[in-house]
Amino acid sequence: MRFGVPQERDWNSLDDEYFRDIIRFEFESHYPSYLRYPPRRLLWRENADWFRRMASKGWIAPNWPAEYGGMGLSGPKLLIFLEEQERWGIARYQDHGTLMVGPLLIRFGTNEQRERFLPPILACEERWCQGYSEPDSGSDLASLKTRATRDGDCFIINGQKIWTTMAHDVDHIFVLARTDMNAKKQEGISFFLVDLASSGITVRSIRDIAGHDELCEVFLDKVRVPAAHVVGQVNQGWALAKSLLGFERVSLGSPKMPEYGLQILSRIAKACGVEDDPTFRDRFAGLQIDVRHLGDIYHHFAARIHKGEALGQDVSMLKIVATELFQKIADLIVETAGPLAGLAGDTIIGDDTINIMAPFYKARPASIYGGTNEIQRNIIAREILELPSR
Amino acid sequence: MAEAGLNAEDLALLSESAAQFARSKRTTADTSGRIDFSRADWSQMARQGWLSILIPLERDGLGLDLVAASAVARQLGRHARPEPFVAAGVAAGKCLAASTNSPLWNERLASFMGGKLLTSLAWQPGGKAFDHGAGTVIARGAANGRRLTGSCRLVAAPASDAFIVTAHSEDGPILCWAEAGVSGLSLTIERCVDGSPLGLLQFDDVFVPEHDILAGGEAAAAVLREVVDASLVVNAAELLGLMEGALALTLDYLRTRKQFGVTIGSFQSLQHRAVDIWIELQLTAAAQNAAARVAGNRTTAPLDRSAAASAVKARAAQAALVLAKEALQMHGAIGFAAEYGLGVFFNRAQVLAPWMGNAAQHRRRFDAISRGSATPQSNEVQ
Repeated sequence: MRFGVPQERDWNSLDDEYFRDIIRFEFESHYPSYLRYPPRRLLWRENADWFRRMASKGWIAPNWPAEYGGMGLSGPKLLIFLEEQERWGIARYQDHGTLMVGPLLIRFGTNEQRERFLPPILACEERWCQGYSEPDSGSDLASLKTRATRDGDCFIINGQKIWTTMAHDVDHIFVLARTDMNAKKQEGISFFLVDLASSGITVRSIRDIAGHDELCEVFLDKVRVPAAHVVGQVNQGWALAKSLLGFERVSLGSPKMPEYGLQILSRIAKACGVEDDPTFRDRFAGLQIDVRHLGDIYHHFAARIHKGEALGQDVSMLKIVATELFQKIADLIVETAGPLAGLAGDTIIGDDTINIMAPFYKARPASIYGGTNEIQRNIIAREILELPSR
Repeated sequence: MAEAGLNAEDLALLSESAAQFARSKRTTADTSGRIDFSRADWSQMARQGWLSILIPLERDGLGLDLVAASAVARQLGRHARPEPFVAAGVAAGKCLAASTNSPLWNERLASFMGGKLLTSLAWQPGGKAFDHGAGTVIARGAANGRRLTGSCRLVAAPASDAFIVTAHSEDGPILCWAEAGVSGLSLTIERCVDGSPLGLLQFDDVFVPEHDILAGGEAAAAVLREVVDASLVVNAAELLGLMEGALALTLDYLRTRKQFGVTIGSFQSLQHRAVDIWIELQLTAAAQNAAARVAGNRTTAPLDRSAAASAVKARAAQAALVLAKEALQMHGAIGFAAEYGLGVFFNRAQVLAPWMGNAAQHRRRFDAISRGSATPQSNEVQ
């Protein structure tokens, strides 16, 4: 079977800088400028045109092999693609399909699963969210209680997921559910691909303290899912989920958000007239150096991925460093803005218009989602530093 | 004058030989707490080729890059060695490599690489400013040479046979050669908290013949910038080694020390603090590696190389001090005892972190470079 549209070139054979020019030209010429660096996640109707354009060019899955409809980019080329995307402030869509489901099925899925699920991901016809957390299973995810029981060629799923990002704006969800009640908690979990239109599913959005409606609750009441939509072996879902988390921690560790924060900080300082203040200079320089060195260590991990090395648990550090640095930068933005920092939304400061609090509200949950930073520290302490548990 | 990088395997071999050297040595302080390295050990380092790493092939060196020099410094730091590799190896070597290809300088360079001639860069004016051009040594014109007046403080390896002195002349900075004991030059030793010596050189009308002027004018400023940047990067590697040594001791302690009937490393508050200093170390290592490549790359603009050097010095100085203090606290009282091994790392970090400029000074230099004013005013840099 052919997946996606054919690639116009063998990208990996191009000179790096020439490749960068091609990508940059496309982004700069066609990405709508009013969508650059949005202060919140965009809804599909807001950025669908752009990603459909990417899909029709065959650029929607730069990380997938070309035989599955991706761009088939080698490590350095993929890095260039992502760098240019970030540099131009291109908003993400709900891209769990290309980032997670696709690579997972390419690696662990059956042919039938690939043929059923990959084409609509490539065409942006089916978009995905991640059903992991539950009301009583946050940091202790493996204690999850959503249950799937076998019924003929189906499973019947009952339970509740929460903090599911953008579940109200997508049509599919991948779900971790317990299939063996008697096994040790990590060993009885399976990985399901579920259509959100299935009967028995209710999605409700949760307003957050920043005033956004990005998070959701997903209720599953006797939802029938074909047994053929279990990825990997039944009861082996925990290992699959963990293999995706490593990747997530690399992408959450990108210097993109801190770099963006520094740009805002620089503009605020200018607008507030403190850009030459020695105290401000010292703190700004310190943060610039921190972002530079985050970039150094991010590239160290990226290079390991590109060489095909499996990442160890030390990758947890990236998420800690990137998110806490972003928070420090956001805090200094708030402090620099002084009393103006109470104002919501785009605010006129001097000659500039800046959404002062957007980085701050973006930065706060970053140390919570994707595994809290405390959990990341636990992982490093146990797995890397080999400190004893109690 | 291209510098070459070692492949991963050769780099690992170099690192291992440096580790073996550093592990095999024991240097203990005398009863007054003074620590002086031995010239025999210095010669051994020379025989290993470490003093030739940064010397170009055409001057009979190894023609290697800052990554290789950093590998040696990191291992010396890992075992808190007192040998002044950065000052008397990297800085002195890079100065000598910039000298003219003449019999006099070739002989000095050869003796330096052979470990027979110990020489150090005297450039840090009064311990106050961080500014290449600045200096409180003044060079006045004289028949067939110059006459130096003034002083230079915080000179590492003060037991050197000769010093490479930065002085101000009417035509800008000059780098010149002054042998220890030359008429008019006096040396006072100040001791650091780790027991190592730094020198205060006082020049009272010291005559320097023309042939002892290593570089002058714009060339001298360029050489000095490159020497200082290289030294900062390798100094960061030595700090990184100190961090590794202190962290290893701390993790061992957390894994074995028992209180309240349990191993203290099982307490989550201590685990998270240990993770945080481990992260400081990982960041410093990645930053140091990247900086060694940028600062050693001659196709990169000098200002970008200086920015990379100051950024990594700022990181390493701050991270090493944070890690040292956390290591001490997590050990409790035993860490404060001189007999226990943490103190050598702790004390050496207090010395190497501010040497050639501390974190705040290098943030300021980095910022000045990033904003496009190359030379920060020395009076701003206290």
